[in-house]
Amino acid sequence: MSEVTPNSNRLKAKDFITVGIFTAIIFAVEFVCGMLGFIHPFIVASYVVMIPLVGAIPMMLFYTKVQKFGMITIMSVLIAIIMFVMGMGYLGAPLIVVAGVIADLIARSGKYKSFKKTMVSYGVFCLWICANYFPVIITAESYRKSLIDEGYSAEYCNNLFLAINYKTIGVLLVLCFVFGCIGAVIGKAVVKKHFEKAGIV
Amino acid sequence: MKLDPRTKLYMILVVSAVVMMSATTPLLWTVRIVITMIPIFLLIGEKKYTSAFGFMFLYAAAMVLTFCFVSESSTTFFKNFVTGYTGIIVQFMPCMITAWYVVRTTKIGEFMSAMQRMHLPDGITISLAVVMRFFPTIREEYSSISDAMKMRGIAFGGGNAAKMIEYRMIPLLFSCVNIGDELSAAAITRGLGGKVKRTSVETLKLRITDWFFITLFTAAAVVFILFKYVL
Repeated sequence: MSEVTPNSNRLKAKDFITVGIFTAIIFAVEFVCGMLGFIHPFIVASYVVMIPLVGAIPMMLFYTKVQKFGMITIMSVLIAIIMFVMGMGYLGAPLIVVAGVIADLIARSGKYKSFKKTMVSYGVFCLWICANYFPVIITAESYRKSLIDEGYSAEYCNNLFLAINYKTIGVLLVLCFVFGCIGAVIGKAVVKKHFEKAGIV
Repeated sequence: MKLDPRTKLYMILVVSAVVMMSATTPLLWTVRIVITMIPIFLLIGEKKYTSAFGFMFLYAAAMVLTFCFVSESSTTFFKNFVTGYTGIIVQFMPCMITAWYVVRTTKIGEFMSAMQRMHLPDGITISLAVVMRFFPTIREEYSSISDAMKMRGIAFGGGNAAKMIEYRMIPLLFSCVNIGDELSAAAITRGLGGKVKRTSVETLKLRITDWFFITLFTAAAVVFILFKYVL
């Protein structure tokens, strides 16, 4: 989309707009998946599978438009801000931003061209999803109490904490990464099928 | 009544902070409900009756259900289901109402110049403004896509989850990318991203009403924290 002269590494207005658009799309995906999570707590745990897979399609398209350092970082900062505004707390914010910066660095090491690097980078970026679980883990006891106070049933809470606690978070993080990589492959195929043929990329 | 964008941002900040801390006593619930009602009344003041009453009705219904119907001992699937949904409404509705109010009543120009006044970096300002503007667009585009699919008789992609996602996601991405290109062209025409500092026709000034709301929300936050953690 943006014409890059080799020397200009500064982000331009156009890049910021691209970041904004894709952040909005990613968040719409997160929002729809998030709604499902209130049916049963095990679905909350399965965010790590759903969001990386579905989100991969817009993200792979986004990666084709990223050519400079900073775009993925800004995206992670925006996600952190929106998470806070939506009332999901600030506990996850450091994880989101760190994941964003590392993902950006990995993608840059492949000059935003190498697909292998992009895949790993997207896997790392997906770790931000685990930030959704942070309130559950860090403040487990008081969070459980507050959920019950707020009217969640004890059964919902028990299941929630069965699925998400400090023991399973490692597994969830790994799952996020793995499904991020799988999603990247699928997303790449979809982008190729639809967008490259249409000449949009 | 016109509020300064900075006041509105402060309102969002306070509401999300208060919502994150669980309300346990009647007083804390009162504080929470009061700060939820303020944006609703502001929406009414802006003559956005549909959304204001819609939000109010939903919030009230969820509250009633939470307090009268659902309890710790509810175990059946249906009750769990209701619990989940009332829970999400009670928990996230205050934030959403406030965010909705801010998005609906703030012009992008105002928002940009407010962010500039607070010396936030350009990248965050522009991207956030785009996100803000884009959520309604995504919804519009999505409903047009659904209409188009209905006309062709494609309801759920034949029950195939992958197809379902593909049929909705791809057209959405196509139109979003196109809108993005148009947006960039419009933004560059308006001198966004130039080297010179942008000026704005919107003059931002904190008026008495702004200070009133800032004081009100600060007081609400202080009361909440005081009664939850100190007393």
